[in-house]
Amino acid sequence: MLFNSLQFLWFFVLVYAAYRAFPHRAQNWLLLGASYYFYAAWDWRFLGLLIASTVVDYSCAVALDRLTSVPRRRLVLVLSLGFNLTLLGFFKYFNFFADNLHVLFGALGWTVDFVTVRVLLPVGISFYTFMTMSYVIDVYRRNLPATRNLLDFAVFVAYFPHLVAGPILRASRLLPQIHSPRHITGDQLRDGAWLIAWGYFLKVYVADNVAPLASSVFDPGSPSTGLDVLLGVYAFAFQIYGDFAGYSNIARGTSKLMGIELVENFRFPYLVRTPQEFWRHWHISLSTWLRDYLYIPLGGSRGSEAQTRRNLLLTMLLGGLWHGAAWTFVLWGAYHGVLLIVYRAALRTRAVSSWLTGPFGARALLAWFVMFHLTCFGWLIFRAPSVPQILDLTARLFVPSGASPELLAPLVLYVAPFLVVHAAEALSDDVLVVPRLRPGVRYTLYASTFYLTMLFGNFAGADFIYFQF
Amino acid sequence: MNPPPDSRSSGRRRLRHLAAFTLIFAAQFLLFEIGLRTWGASEAGPSFQGLFEDDPVAGFRLKPHARVRFRTAETDAVIAINGLGVRDDEEIGPKPPGERRVLILGDSLVLSVQVPVEQTFAELLERQLNAGGIETGHRVINAGVQGYGPVEELLLFRRIAGQVQPDLVIVIVFVGNDAEEALASQAKLAAGPARATLRETFLTRLRRLLRRSMVWQILRMRVGSATGRLTVFREPEPPLQSYAAQPAPRIADGLALARRCVEAIAAEGDRLGARTAIVLMPARFQVDDGDYGRLRDIVRDAGGDLVRDAATHRFEAELSTLGLPQLDLLPALRRALPGPDLFYQSTVHLTPLGHRVVASALADFIRAEGLLAQPGVAMSH
Repeated sequence: MLFNSLQFLWFFVLVYAAYRAFPHRAQNWLLLGASYYFYAAWDWRFLGLLIASTVVDYSCAVALDRLTSVPRRRLVLVLSLGFNLTLLGFFKYFNFFADNLHVLFGALGWTVDFVTVRVLLPVGISFYTFMTMSYVIDVYRRNLPATRNLLDFAVFVAYFPHLVAGPILRASRLLPQIHSPRHITGDQLRDGAWLIAWGYFLKVYVADNVAPLASSVFDPGSPSTGLDVLLGVYAFAFQIYGDFAGYSNIARGTSKLMGIELVENFRFPYLVRTPQEFWRHWHISLSTWLRDYLYIPLGGSRGSEAQTRRNLLLTMLLGGLWHGAAWTFVLWGAYHGVLLIVYRAALRTRAVSSWLTGPFGARALLAWFVMFHLTCFGWLIFRAPSVPQILDLTARLFVPSGASPELLAPLVLYVAPFLVVHAAEALSDDVLVVPRLRPGVRYTLYASTFYLTMLFGNFAGADFIYFQF
Repeated sequence: MNPPPDSRSSGRRRLRHLAAFTLIFAAQFLLFEIGLRTWGASEAGPSFQGLFEDDPVAGFRLKPHARVRFRTAETDAVIAINGLGVRDDEEIGPKPPGERRVLILGDSLVLSVQVPVEQTFAELLERQLNAGGIETGHRVINAGVQGYGPVEELLLFRRIAGQVQPDLVIVIVFVGNDAEEALASQAKLAAGPARATLRETFLTRLRRLLRRSMVWQILRMRVGSATGRLTVFREPEPPLQSYAAQPAPRIADGLALARRCVEAIAAEGDRLGARTAIVLMPARFQVDDGDYGRLRDIVRDAGGDLVRDAATHRFEAELSTLGLPQLDLLPALRRALPGPDLFYQSTVHLTPLGHRVVASALADFIRAEGLLAQPGVAMSH
């Protein structure tokens, strides 16, 4: 059940009507039932995995809370992490490793008969396993007491707004909101409604309309060169932003309507000047997860420069692999790792440092321009179907040619209205600035968003890109 | 008791906000309307809608002497309507001695706004008939109208047959929707000409204006598609019922009504000395495998079962009881494959190649059946 489907609309209307009528405990039962139905609507067979993950991590956390012996607590932690990583490894990476081993053995001249199992990827598995792992680690570190309420924990794991494409929530933030009765304020209703409307706009007006422009360049056999490739890469940059930020906004908005606050996942990621800033503004819930549960435990920047570089590279490689079992994702992670390492080195040069972190001006503009294009090159790596195609597209990027009006005109048409609102949000440093603007301006933006979405939106019901991760 | 001043001022503020909100939405409605009318290319556009006018009997008809250019991403054609209200760049006029006239009735697949008039199968058929060594001159009249079904075709025939004086009437039945369309227009057969409105109120005029709005039509389409798929309380009916393994009972009613309309055309044509033939036009997916696979999945997802040629077979069986010459275009179109597209991708209408295939099939059919042979005169091949 996609957020941009009518099925979801009716589902949410019914759930919300009941939610507003029920008392707190009944609301939690309703949220659990609705969330399981939401997940089962995609494929009921994987509901068992979700429930198993919930029960195992709930039990491990309770055990961790009770135990005092360090070796035993470690054992429970390893059991929980082992369970989650096995799930993730099998369902997400089994095919990838089997295929690569097959290729490797073939290259070495060995004939090995593999038992090939085509494993179907359960939607949202990367998101909910990361959530439960962070919960168990937090309990292990005694940063958080284990909840004794299985219902509340099950709602935390399965809560439908975030279930299939994030944000990756922390128990410390979400569990207290599930435990306590919710009081829905007028501001939450207004902000939630705007986030949903804006999320739909980003998905059906921006992302789904620029997707064919990106495909026309990235699809195998495309003859595009020079500026056309660049426009195709720009198109994908806005497609993936519109798609993922759109989903996150709808998730946040629906949750706000129910009085539950989810974390912000995007904060003007294309307006930043440095790779470090980019990861503080793009998929914030994943980058903070990687920082807290991978980068810092690896040593972070506490050791030597070489160790810091290794930690950065390893974190970004795994971040890339999290996105999918393909070498292009690994390469994309490595590329961002290298960008972060180079950035750290560049910061040591005072001139470069002032460009990257100084006040806004011509130099800052140049730094933004460079960073935006570095990000776009990352998207080229991310979107290309294979490594040879990355090389091919990169080579074609430098073959001089003009921009086709068939690409340029629609790209401007579909991106410009988004940029207007985005600029207003960035200038006020508030992603929820629109509902707080003066009534005349606010209503003008509401009306434009409504008409652009309804008249020109692509309602073919395309999947959200991040579902596959 | 009067409300306290605070609540009154809050009420006034809300009212002001509501007024501003409504005003801004209305102003943007107007702006988008202007934008769509200036730059939009769609059948909802004013230029295309300028092809039509109200008809007191059939509901609407082609507007005499209208001339528009219709452009989409795939097509670009000028559509000229003559004084009789059919697509032709020449007037029909009285029939000269020796001329043989073929009147083709049908819907948008006959009108063919996607291609220039010289590429329509009606025009190609005329050329083939005149180049076929037949002694007399032939005139093929394209009387297709977008949105018409068998009922409207009968009503149009009644209006123009006297002026056209056809020797042959070809009813092109679009098997995809003609059963449903016949049933939807059944009331038009019983009703007389609609009375002219004596006095239009402001609201009527406003409603009419709104109905003509492109913004309004798109919004209605979006809302219609949303509410049409409201499946909470009842099982949705799978689409393409004419092709369903177990069609809704209304399909049989529609088929019967379509047969009665064709029967009436044949009887009234006969009184004018014209013969009548039936041609079955398939839907694109009956020819295009990719389209068929996509639609079969959609119907299956909706709980139905799509039988690819069911509608053709149903019309064939229903209309064969009339004893009129009948041609199914499906074999001719399938024989043209594999090759370039016979139907446009963005619409279900024929490409120029599709028109050529249909024109040849029609010419062969007319010759084979001797449909234009004068009594006692054999057609030469």
